[in-house]
Amino acid sequence: MAARLPRRPTCALSLSSLSPQTTTTTSQQGPSAVQSQFQTRNARLIRRPRRPYLFTQLVQLSDGSTYTMRTASPHALYKSTKDTRNHVLWNPSEKSLKNVEVDEAGKLAAFRGRFGRSWDAPAPRVAEEDEGEAVDGGDVEGADGKKKEKKKAVNSEEEESDDPFGDLISRYAMKETEKGGKK
Amino acid sequence: MAAPSRGSRAAASILRRQANVCASCRTTQFLRPYSATAEAAQQAEAHRLKPHEKVPHPPATASRKAEYRIKAGVIVTRAPMLTRNLTPFENAFFFYQKRLNERLTPEFRHTLFFKENTVPDLDWRIKFNERGRVPAKELGRYFAKGRNAWNDELLVGSTLSDENRIREILLKDAESRVTEDGEEAKPDEIVKPERPMDRITEADKANDVRRLDRKMDRTLYLVVQSGNGTWSFPSDYVPTDQNLHQAAQRVLDQAAGVNMNTWMVGRVPVAHYVAEPQFNEDTTIKARGEKVFFNKVRIMAGQANLTGNTLGYKDFNWLTKEELKEKLPGPYFRAVRNMMATR
Repeated sequence: MAARLPRRPTCALSLSSLSPQTTTTTSQQGPSAVQSQFQTRNARLIRRPRRPYLFTQLVQLSDGSTYTMRTASPHALYKSTKDTRNHVLWNPSEKSLKNVEVDEAGKLAAFRGRFGRSWDAPAPRVAEEDEGEAVDGGDVEGADGKKKEKKKAVNSEEEESDDPFGDLISRYAMKETEKGGKK
Repeated sequence: MAAPSRGSRAAASILRRQANVCASCRTTQFLRPYSATAEAAQQAEAHRLKPHEKVPHPPATASRKAEYRIKAGVIVTRAPMLTRNLTPFENAFFFYQKRLNERLTPEFRHTLFFKENTVPDLDWRIKFNERGRVPAKELGRYFAKGRNAWNDELLVGSTLSDENRIREILLKDAESRVTEDGEEAKPDEIVKPERPMDRITEADKANDVRRLDRKMDRTLYLVVQSGNGTWSFPSDYVPTDQNLHQAAQRVLDQAAGVNMNTWMVGRVPVAHYVAEPQFNEDTTIKARGEKVFFNKVRIMAGQANLTGNTLGYKDFNWLTKEELKEKLPGPYFRAVRNMMATR
């Protein structure tokens, strides 16, 4: 690129007479000695910084609003999936963005049908009732069976069985009996 | 104290040139320091009203307190949701900058972005050839390294730099021209990208002044219509046990309901409106005046709801500054217009 640009004429002599000159003349030195002590501070050829080629891109936010920006990406349209328009932090009163379970494919429902509800995240009511256990309650439930049992004992309102794996075992037992019946 | 005194002297000199300010105001208001006498300021305030009033006036020594009642009001604003349209000059300027940038940057190398013979690569080549082998999408047939590179300025009346045209070109360019088999797609096979939302909404088309999604590039202000048909900002008297901002919050809740996510910008009023009291011939008060202080409130979400409001409002509108000018009484609008943004 730079090779194509015509070279600027570098006229050191004419420029040096224009530039501010500092002389360190003393009374002993003649005029020729003064000439040799000139400092030349001519501007060198400074290359233009290399910049990437920039395209104009249309950015579409999640709510459909668009703006253009200059970018190196050659794609004409950029669609944002998560931005300030559909984030809870910027939309605190938007109920659809709250942390609710999205189960379009039915995978979570299938999981529950197979393994029961004891793997679900703890309800906030449990955390409110005994604050000492609140830290543990925030963890994935079922990872620590003993603590969970203790908490369950505290909450007498809970109608579910004490054993978190109870329904798992009972279902398994039911399947076994079915298999046994078939055999 | 040098700067304020200089400022007051400048203001006094401006006032001196104006004929409608009396001589005592010129001297007392500005040349005397503000903190010197509260009494003097009070006198000046009492004095200021005199030239404009035709009705007989009680002597300045009497207490003026009883003549006015203090009200707290709220100016609920909705910030602009969109940036404004660019002017033709701005469009042309940015277009020129883009063409200039074409001349200064190295050429675009598509091999850096697209692998050889992949779908994106074929797609790029189809569009690139259609544009006349120009990498830029919206700059027209401009060859930055060519013989006529200097000829980069647009002529008068050219529509090349138009915002809408650029948006259409980018949207056209966003559709994929290559099928998954790696062949050029027929015109009926091309999948068009979803259109971006329009700047003009349904509320704009129907001119629904009660909706918040109208005039998206302007600031909207909430005005309410009282029982006698006059339009104003929601306001109510300040009880003795409430501060101004507390009263403003109460006014907002009582007038427009609690179904709004709002934020009061500050506790200091942004505007005030004074309605002069009216007097009988024997200097007794016929109607008390009002001093309304407005606090600024931003609405983030929700909508105003006047059903069952205790302040007697029957209608509300979300209006821009220009629309407010026609809707509000003249002195009322002049009292609040300086807190409104241009856009």
